[in-house]
Amino acid sequence: MSPDTKPVLSVRKLVKRFGGFVALDGLSFHAAPGEVLGLVGPNGSGKTTAINVISGLYAPDGGEVVFDDVSIGGTASHKLVHRGINRTFQVPKPFMSLTVRENVRVALAYGHVGGTPPGLDALLDEYRLAAVADRPAADLNSAQQKMLDLVRALATRPRLLLLDELAAGLNPAELDWIAERIKQLAASGMSIIVVEHLMGFIEHITDRVIVLNAGKEIFEGKLAAAVKEPQVIEVFLGGEHAA
Amino acid sequence: MLTYALVAGVLFGLYFSLVGMGLNLVFGVMRIVNLAHGDVLMLGAFVALGVVTLAGIDPLFAVPLAFVLFLLVGTLLYWVLVPRLQGSTNPEMLSIILFFGLSQVVEAITTIFAGTSERSIQSRLLGTVFSTIQVQLLGGKPGASGPIRILGQGFPAPWVIAAATSLVAIGLVYLYLYRTRLGTLTRAVMSRRDEALASGIDVDRVSAAAFGIGLGLAAVAGVFAPFMFGSITPAFGADATVTSFAIVVLGSLGNPLGTALGGVVYGVCYMMVQTYLSSWADLLPYVLLILILLLRPSGLLGRRVRVA
Amino acid sequence: MPSAVKHVLLILVPLIAVFAILPGLYQNHLLLFNFVTFLILAQGVNIIYGFTGYLPFGYVGFFGAGAYGFAVLVMHYQSPAIVAVLAAGLVAVLLGLLLTPLLRLSGAYFAIANLAASLAVLHLVANPALESITKGPYGVSLTGTFNPTYAYYAALVVLAVTVGGVVFLKNSSFGLALQAVREDAVSASMSGVNVVRMRIAAWLASALVAGLAGGIYAWYVSVFYPDNVFSGDFSIFAIVFALFGGVATISGPIIGVLILYGVYNLIGFTTPQYFQLIYGLLIMGLVLFLPAGLVSLAMRRGWNVP
Repeated sequence: MSPDTKPVLSVRKLVKRFGGFVALDGLSFHAAPGEVLGLVGPNGSGKTTAINVISGLYAPDGGEVVFDDVSIGGTASHKLVHRGINRTFQVPKPFMSLTVRENVRVALAYGHVGGTPPGLDALLDEYRLAAVADRPAADLNSAQQKMLDLVRALATRPRLLLLDELAAGLNPAELDWIAERIKQLAASGMSIIVVEHLMGFIEHITDRVIVLNAGKEIFEGKLAAAVKEPQVIEVFLGGEHAA
Repeated sequence: MLTYALVAGVLFGLYFSLVGMGLNLVFGVMRIVNLAHGDVLMLGAFVALGVVTLAGIDPLFAVPLAFVLFLLVGTLLYWVLVPRLQGSTNPEMLSIILFFGLSQVVEAITTIFAGTSERSIQSRLLGTVFSTIQVQLLGGKPGASGPIRILGQGFPAPWVIAAATSLVAIGLVYLYLYRTRLGTLTRAVMSRRDEALASGIDVDRVSAAAFGIGLGLAAVAGVFAPFMFGSITPAFGADATVTSFAIVVLGSLGNPLGTALGGVVYGVCYMMVQTYLSSWADLLPYVLLILILLLRPSGLLGRRVRVA
Repeated sequence: MPSAVKHVLLILVPLIAVFAILPGLYQNHLLLFNFVTFLILAQGVNIIYGFTGYLPFGYVGFFGAGAYGFAVLVMHYQSPAIVAVLAAGLVAVLLGLLLTPLLRLSGAYFAIANLAASLAVLHLVANPALESITKGPYGVSLTGTFNPTYAYYAALVVLAVTVGGVVFLKNSSFGLALQAVREDAVSASMSGVNVVRMRIAAWLASALVAGLAGGIYAWYVSVFYPDNVFSGDFSIFAIVFALFGGVATISGPIIGVLILYGVYNLIGFTTPQYFQLIYGLLIMGLVLFLPAGLVSLAMRRGWNVP
């Protein structure tokens, strides 16, 4: 990635409140095409809230989310999906009584506008779901449900993909495998934002990280540099002591 | 006229609080919609009838009897029905249908034994125990208590007795929830059922108790139903359920003490409409229910009920 | 052969054919008409509950509104029956539109609010203050349009359209998306589905068929009271029939109506309370032991039931 690539997503001074609690307090960052960006920070620092606002689950209370030069804050999720944003969920909620294949068919039919849709069988094959394609999603184990959630997102051909703790609960072999897949997706030009607690995994796949604390970014750059930053150390160690 | 309607509204409202309380306790703890709630009320009324016709004593004695009886029935019913229901994919939805079935069974059995005719209890019989005590302690003429005067207006004694009993019942529910160990656990289950399960609380025991108490309270409310509504038939249950729902939603579902407020608001509205717009009084519970759900879905004291 | 064609040939065509022929073979035409009415209503419940996940406890509101829509048009505008039936459907759709805010409520709240709405419409229609429009509690008599034979065949047409609609839902991405919304609205919207629009579409479709059924019912019986056409039994029967057979399928609600309404008529009306008892026990047993309906028995064996 060249540093002058135009960002596909810019988040500017984003604010989100829940009652008296300020979850996002003026968060700003950007993401470029082909880049894997990590969002890290202690629990409650606003990582998932940021993803929820960008993907249209919550309307922001202040600031801007700009995607493709258009301000999209507060736009309904399904419209954002059509614009090219999609995500996975920390706890995936597939359509339990529908089969794996039907789950993906919904996203294929409703999720993308124009262009050739990705092949259903190829997608299932690629994410190791071909063997369970005709089973109800309720029968899948949690790692498989996460893959189904990812396939649902990919079926809509996103240009910005938000992955909320996709790797949590995967075994080391699966971790290596999914890391490769994520890198390949980025290589195809997709912009990927990853929220993850596993620092090794983050280090392995991200080009750059944003460190969040209390709803604000406190560091931006390589993870290796972040861990030398006193403020970052303070936040993480302080967070752990507090916990 | 206005004073009368207001005082009568508060009296009825306190009674309505009792009517809705049990339904709300059951929903709050179990997320189960007891559509047979009104039928338990109806059965409570029949307990009062039985006490009067078989024993010939003050129907007030039916209050403890009905409570204990339905406390046991409710606990038993809980173990038969609920654990199985909670294991299904959509317990909240299926509970509506299950308890609708139960309400049909109750109504049918009552009709088979009691027929469909309207039954009432002479209102002077309620509270005779008080006048008897009064006579024995202070002397004076034995007989029925006349209307009770509040703010210069006379109100039927049963209204006042029902309202007073409701106040006592609300107080006892408060003591149970906030001053006993089981009650504290009950509140924990109400606020976060999944976490309560995870933290090792015996949710089934808490729920069985809540279910029993819920049915017991409904039966107690039922004891007064013949006096408050004039008469009772086995089909009374269905209407009572919808009314109870309006009250519960008004005060916020899942918060039993909010129901006390909901009941009073409902009672005052009820009396106002009866007094000034009587031909539209039938519409009140339904319209009020819908409006509250849509405009202030969390009830007057709140909790979130919307999906989107 | 595409499965939609198969479903039409194997389910829709035989069903309509049997009910088209039966009046010539069987004398109790009212019973046949009631069967057709309940088939329509059970499929209407299937659309909004089976596919979309909203339990319409006050479904009869649409039916009754349709019946009174028909009556008002015939009484006050001397409309021909067919026009009045279409108007009945329209009235139900308008009522559905008015009630769309209810779709914001979840689970039990929706069910109870819907019940309250149907009772509110009943009390509105039956209010003596509106006697000049609806004849209030005194009921209506529409002898001018009385023609049970035409009404019966009109009901068959509505049934065909309704079952056809369910075949479409079972075989289209639209129906799949509705089920996705039912299972998880957030995941559905992240699949690109406009959740609100889908819910409203299903809601209005189920309102429409109930309204048409209500209009035709008014045409068929010609004399009725508010309590008849707003009877909660319609809602409950339709829900229980659909549930008994199995919702989110084409055949489930049909099987449910044929078996349960058949049994209902065998037991007869002479001892309503015994019937109510059996019915109540049946409902309870159904929820506890067979919550996904009869067809789930076959599905558990791996058979594919449409």
